[in-house]
Amino acid sequence: MNRATKVNIVPCSGIGKSFGSVSRLAAYYITEDDRPAETEMVPLALLVLGDKETNDTVLSNSSISLDGCKLQCAKKMIGECGGQIARDLVVLDVYRDHRDLKPAGIAELNEAGEKLARALADKVDPIIDQTLGKTGEGKNA
Amino acid sequence: MPELPPKKVGIVTCSGEELPEGTVTRLAALRVLEQLRPGETVTICLPLFLAGGEGDRAFAKFYPTIAIDGCDKRCAYYGTTRYSNEPAASLVITDLVKKHGLDKPDGLRKLNKAGLQAVEMAAHEMAAQVDSILGKSWNRARGEFGQSNNIEQPEETTTATCSCGSGIPITKLNISNQEITVVGLPLIFETFQEKDKEPSAATLDEIMDMVKIYNHIEIDAEPALRAEIQKGYEAYFRKNEK
Repeated sequence: MNRATKVNIVPCSGIGKSFGSVSRLAAYYITEDDRPAETEMVPLALLVLGDKETNDTVLSNSSISLDGCKLQCAKKMIGECGGQIARDLVVLDVYRDHRDLKPAGIAELNEAGEKLARALADKVDPIIDQTLGKTGEGKNA
Repeated sequence: MPELPPKKVGIVTCSGEELPEGTVTRLAALRVLEQLRPGETVTICLPLFLAGGEGDRAFAKFYPTIAIDGCDKRCAYYGTTRYSNEPAASLVITDLVKKHGLDKPDGLRKLNKAGLQAVEMAAHEMAAQVDSILGKSWNRARGEFGQSNNIEQPEETTTATCSCGSGIPITKLNISNQEITVVGLPLIFETFQEKDKEPSAATLDEIMDMVKIYNHIEIDAEPALRAEIQKGYEAYFRKNEK
């Protein structure tokens, strides 16, 4: 049986709120720093446009949505394209566990916002293993 | 008393998370929203045209819009056109970079020097488009608008005004078997009713003037639309009579 080798990371395109910036930064932490070989960033704008290549990516691999607010655009767009959602996460839920990390700033997040993004990325890490069926094998196996 | 939001320009970015040019669009839009034209601009996340409600999809019908895209796929322009309304103006970062002979922007999280230059250029180009759309002239020395063409000055803010989920109220009317969406009509009715404006030909003239501020109405469709709005306001006024 073919095992999936990548997980899509889909942050929201939030532009008017700090929580949107947190979701995007967490997505960069995951796809550029933590798990570049096992993840792929999917930009929402291309899904809105119905870009075929991006749609195929969403249909080929499971996705983790990272949304800035309860409107959950990322989760909804994956569903709209018929993609499988491995887990849908909302920044606000992570913030509830880290009340000391109140994000501020949009263009440039404050330190608390950066730490909150780190906490969100850390939460995603084991979900990637689970989705790729790597639990117990060591994450970079 | 309910108030219709003052006329502003909507900015829609592609946000392209996978391209440095996408980061340029986001930062340039924020520069306009927060610093260059804070009182005159508002934004919405592009995916809300699909993931949001009808009020979100009315965004570009309500606000004249500038679409700013990172690349020639032009997701913001075509997405806005398809799901809301054709933008009044647009800007593509790859074109702007080429036009000004800049180096290629680089860095998704932290832009290089060329990227930051592109942000500044795009932001100022957008600010000029905002002025042109609103028919205002910006006084650079004073940092404020000069002559305004009867457009009320909105309050200054220093944070980006995000319209996600705000839901602009709309009404759908059936005119000659064609569904027409009228943006802001519930608020317009409420405003007139609260002023105790009885239904009459003069009141209807005023209502139509306000409807036209927020909606483009084809000349051919106006008489039938006027008749429907008249019926609608009469019913609304009687129902909510004090």
